[in-house]
Amino acid sequence: MSQPLKKVNVDDLQYLTRFVSDKESHLHIKDHNICKTKCEEKHCTVFCPAQVYKWEGERMFVGFEGCHECGSCRIGCPHDNIEWKYPKGGLGVVFRLA
Amino acid sequence: MAEKFDVIVVGAGPAGSAAAHTLAKAGLNVIMFERGEYPGSKNVMGGVIYRHQLQEIVPDFLESAPLERPIVQQNFWMMDEKSVFQMGYKGLEWAEAPHNNFTVLRAKFDQWFAGKAVEQGALLINETVVTEAIVEDGKVIGVRTDRPNGDVYADVVILADGVNSLLAKQLGFHKELKPSEVALAVMQVINLPAEKIEDRFNLEPNQGATIELFGDSTKGLLGTSFIYTNKESISIGVGTLLSGLMENRMKPYELLETLKQHPVVRKLIQGGEPKEYLAHLIPEGGYHSIPKLVDHGVMVVGDAAQLVNGIHREGSNLAMASGRMAAETVIMAKQVNDFSANILDAYRTNLMNSFVGQDLKKYKDAAHTLDRNPVYFKEYIPMMNRAASEMFTVDGVSKWDKQKKVMGMVQEKGTISTIRDLYRAWKVMK
Amino acid sequence: MHYVVFVKQVPDTSVVKLDPVTNTLDRSSAPSIINPYDSHAVEEAVRLKNKYGGKVTVISMGPPMAVDVIKKCIELGADDGVLISDRAFAGSDTLATSYALTQALRKVSEKEPVDVIFAGKQAIDGDTAQVGPGVARRLSMPVLAQVIHVESFSAEKKVIRVHRKIEDGVEIVESKLPVLITVEKEINDLTYAPLPNMIKAAKYKPLIWSVNDIEVDRDQLGLKGSPTVVGKIFAPPKQSGGQKVTGTADEVVKTVMDKLVNVHGLFTGGGVS
Repeated sequence: MSQPLKKVNVDDLQYLTRFVSDKESHLHIKDHNICKTKCEEKHCTVFCPAQVYKWEGERMFVGFEGCHECGSCRIGCPHDNIEWKYPKGGLGVVFRLA
Repeated sequence: MAEKFDVIVVGAGPAGSAAAHTLAKAGLNVIMFERGEYPGSKNVMGGVIYRHQLQEIVPDFLESAPLERPIVQQNFWMMDEKSVFQMGYKGLEWAEAPHNNFTVLRAKFDQWFAGKAVEQGALLINETVVTEAIVEDGKVIGVRTDRPNGDVYADVVILADGVNSLLAKQLGFHKELKPSEVALAVMQVINLPAEKIEDRFNLEPNQGATIELFGDSTKGLLGTSFIYTNKESISIGVGTLLSGLMENRMKPYELLETLKQHPVVRKLIQGGEPKEYLAHLIPEGGYHSIPKLVDHGVMVVGDAAQLVNGIHREGSNLAMASGRMAAETVIMAKQVNDFSANILDAYRTNLMNSFVGQDLKKYKDAAHTLDRNPVYFKEYIPMMNRAASEMFTVDGVSKWDKQKKVMGMVQEKGTISTIRDLYRAWKVMK
Repeated sequence: MHYVVFVKQVPDTSVVKLDPVTNTLDRSSAPSIINPYDSHAVEEAVRLKNKYGGKVTVISMGPPMAVDVIKKCIELGADDGVLISDRAFAGSDTLATSYALTQALRKVSEKEPVDVIFAGKQAIDGDTAQVGPGVARRLSMPVLAQVIHVESFSAEKKVIRVHRKIEDGVEIVESKLPVLITVEKEINDLTYAPLPNMIKAAKYKPLIWSVNDIEVDRDQLGLKGSPTVVGKIFAPPKQSGGQKVTGTADEVVKTVMDKLVNVHGLFTGGGVS
């Protein structure tokens, strides 16, 4: 079968991108209990391109400051448990190139 | 008292700016909202912009648009783990004006394009999120922004708010997107001196190349990868259906890293300096996912309308064409001063009769066929590579015998099923 | 009351790269922004205007593209703006710049006398903190530098009392108007501008004055009027890498607290060094 994927430190990638963080998060877990008790897979911790979501044993940690605002987590959460909006005008990710 | 405009455009990407430009040029009073620090600061694409649709809006764009390289060579790579089957076309006529298409960097291009709309008289408001459409008596009459005293009114609101289009969802034009309707694309822009790019891709200065990669580049997931040449950088990215990433528990940036280290890709980007990492969704649902496009006082364009041709990786041209067509309909509606769904529906009709609707219809089943039949990516591309390797390896075996061996590979899989699969693929892709 | 604010367009130094060979700023790599201190100066002027009435005018000097910073000030609530822009100003150091701005201010105050002049503490590209005080000196006006709070303001008595940040504390000073005040960022939090301001700014066309529009002695402008010589530009020494703390949130907090308390003596009066 095919080779495993090459590992890469997502922090090194995130360092390349500019973020202007709001003080408040634009991403909210609607019910932390669902992550804990109903969500075996925790897909968001795997597919999020910025590793915004980290499972810390008891609770989902949301590092919204590094969010690319792609929307995958809102669409991909099997329990529709992520309240997703855009950061305040001018804040959030600031792409400088492509 | 909140101000009233002829038209509000939500989003200053290619679709929004195309609409704003067309409207302002016709003398309409247009306000365009952009939630980023500047147009393009939230936008991502591999980077191909098409001459034809741009020229219809800005005829003299060649003089001022921040274009990276005109594309003279388009390649398609069918990848296996240690090999690649390559096809491509190089047309030097594309190096000359009027050209065919170009690579661009969106942060620069979108600013320029929005600036062109401003030159025509459109008002651009940056750093402002439109949070909802204001509806009264079943009619969209304006928008609410996230700023204090943030309401503003208009005869028509054009939603060009991108793939996530929370506004079209608020209006009930579409349900939440499904993981199988969107591709999650991650990319990097890697700086490399112009001469290196030209040497490695066999280009003259001011010529560009694109490579679309299939197969091992997405590890068999439905999707494509791309490598595009900019002036002094290379854009490299991987886009796969979100559903595929979920089923296979794959991290998108690891797919990208694996592609970067692939033995046939590695040398193209070697020594380059990564400058930016970006992620974005691409609407992949195609024809079947197009939401309701028109209602009283409102129209949907671009990615918000899911107008992307996944098979030909076209999006920016459909966005610009749809923005222009929506604007033309508003100009007509303004003449009769009627902005009801009935009148605005001309946009939908025109769009569906144009190349946008026709192309999306033509490929309406392609993604679904491929998604439901992973054999295309997982088996046929490797088979193609083995067959090529067999035919091209000079080892004393006669070509007759080699052909037999290749046919053997097909029979191993089952002749009938292979023919059926290939016919099905041909039918949806042709 | 008439408040005037001096603002400057600068490269965003949080993004700008230093060319490692020539040690000069690679300005092409950075977007142009309003000097962050100046936006707080505008905010403070607008707050005083909203409370005590009057008008806020901003003045900037720079290339034609600097109209963008004036528009930014309109977003923040300024009423009017003037850009002085001319090749004759190019190459001005802080002495020549303060001269040009003073002359522009004189013209602005012909119409309406100025009561308070605000400026940012310094510009993030040059870090000199000289232009504001330079203008005040030319106008023989008192300077209150590095202000972090306006305690009281009386339009009738024409008196302002402010808190200044000084080396080891805060100084509370009162001054008669007119006065020039330079501000620190902590003086206020920027207001998220109301939409009507954004629309006004997008439509706004600032006055642009060339060297012919203001009364000046050309010998005091540009390179000719600039005695400053740049001796050497060098990159600051690289900061040695810190320690990266990893783990779960709880583990990270524990490690950091352990370090602060046990190694650096937090809570024991030792202070963090």
